[in-house]
Amino acid sequence: MTATDLSLPHAGTAGGDATATCVFAVRRDDAPEWLPESPGHAGGGPVGLLALPGGGLQAVVQPVAAADFTEEALRRRLSDPVELERCARTHHAVITAAAADGPVVPLPLATLFTGVDRAVAALADQRAHFLAALDRVTGRAEWAVKVHVEPSEPARAAPDEGTDPATVGTGAGAAYLARVRGRERDRRARQEAVLRVAGHVHEVAAAFAVAAVRRTPHSTEITGKDRPQVLNAAYLVDDARAAELVAAVRALDGTHTGLDVHIEVSGPWVPYSFTRSGEGTGL
Amino acid sequence: MTGSRVDLDADNAARDLVSLVLTLIELIRQLLERQAVRRLDQADLTPEQEERLGTALMHLDQAMTDLCAHHDLRREDLNLHLGPLGPLLAENPW
Repeated sequence: MTATDLSLPHAGTAGGDATATCVFAVRRDDAPEWLPESPGHAGGGPVGLLALPGGGLQAVVQPVAAADFTEEALRRRLSDPVELERCARTHHAVITAAAADGPVVPLPLATLFTGVDRAVAALADQRAHFLAALDRVTGRAEWAVKVHVEPSEPARAAPDEGTDPATVGTGAGAAYLARVRGRERDRRARQEAVLRVAGHVHEVAAAFAVAAVRRTPHSTEITGKDRPQVLNAAYLVDDARAAELVAAVRALDGTHTGLDVHIEVSGPWVPYSFTRSGEGTGL
Repeated sequence: MTGSRVDLDADNAARDLVSLVLTLIELIRQLLERQAVRRLDQADLTPEQEERLGTALMHLDQAMTDLCAHHDLRREDLNLHLGPLGPLLAENPW
């Protein structure tokens, strides 16, 4: 979460109704006139556009009540999963709407400034980054590829007691040990095979992309207990090649029989993974 | 009391402690099994030692199952997520 390293409004300095400026995205101002379809964060003012100095760029902004976005209030809200989801969905909805007719650089969730002037000044400082990022993503979109392992039968299949010919004639203890060894070997072999599949899927997808990132797979808390993720990657793809990427990745799904891997491709997404400046957002 | 803080009532605390202790026992049990497999692979065990080691581990596994049942926990519940280090215990084989 980037909330803590932003300059945050101080609540209460101007009574309870001070406003802060929430910035969602930056886009070119030659994009066709855009009418916000998303109401933005609950309790805030209308979502609108803010011209940045130097020409050519505009920010998608919303005035919000400063009291709702103090450091303390944000920490509380963003550590509540329900509230975090609502904030993230709102943020994504505004950005997606703003991206409908031209490229955008999405900003991190809860990018806030104490006022319009500060927002303009801080965003103007990053002008070169925004222009470069917009050039980079024009005519391109982000596609996500995820690979999960989803055992079709219960993971702990009943151990086949005493059927292993090597254990015939030995006692129960040795048989148990042999089973443990077999289980451990199978597990390791499967793990290696699955990781090879993940690597292969990544290579296939990356061949269609101008840039690719492999992120840490989501934990099973997010993906579900018996559904570990082994590839969580994003690709920046020319719009003209997107269909090829989707077809190539889909063709891989189901070709790894016996491994229970599931390959998913989704997109096009706003290029969240390919528009960050080098050292964070540095606002 | 807000959101994610922990309520310290006696029953819960005892239950969490049991689950933590069982998690540690399970960790040690898994390490012992892996170490036993390593010894087996190195073939430096006599058949007699192999049988004794296997029997001990089998009993330990059964004891773990009984303990979990007694405390109304499942094996899968016994794990700690160590953030970027991943889970403490090996998860189900995949």
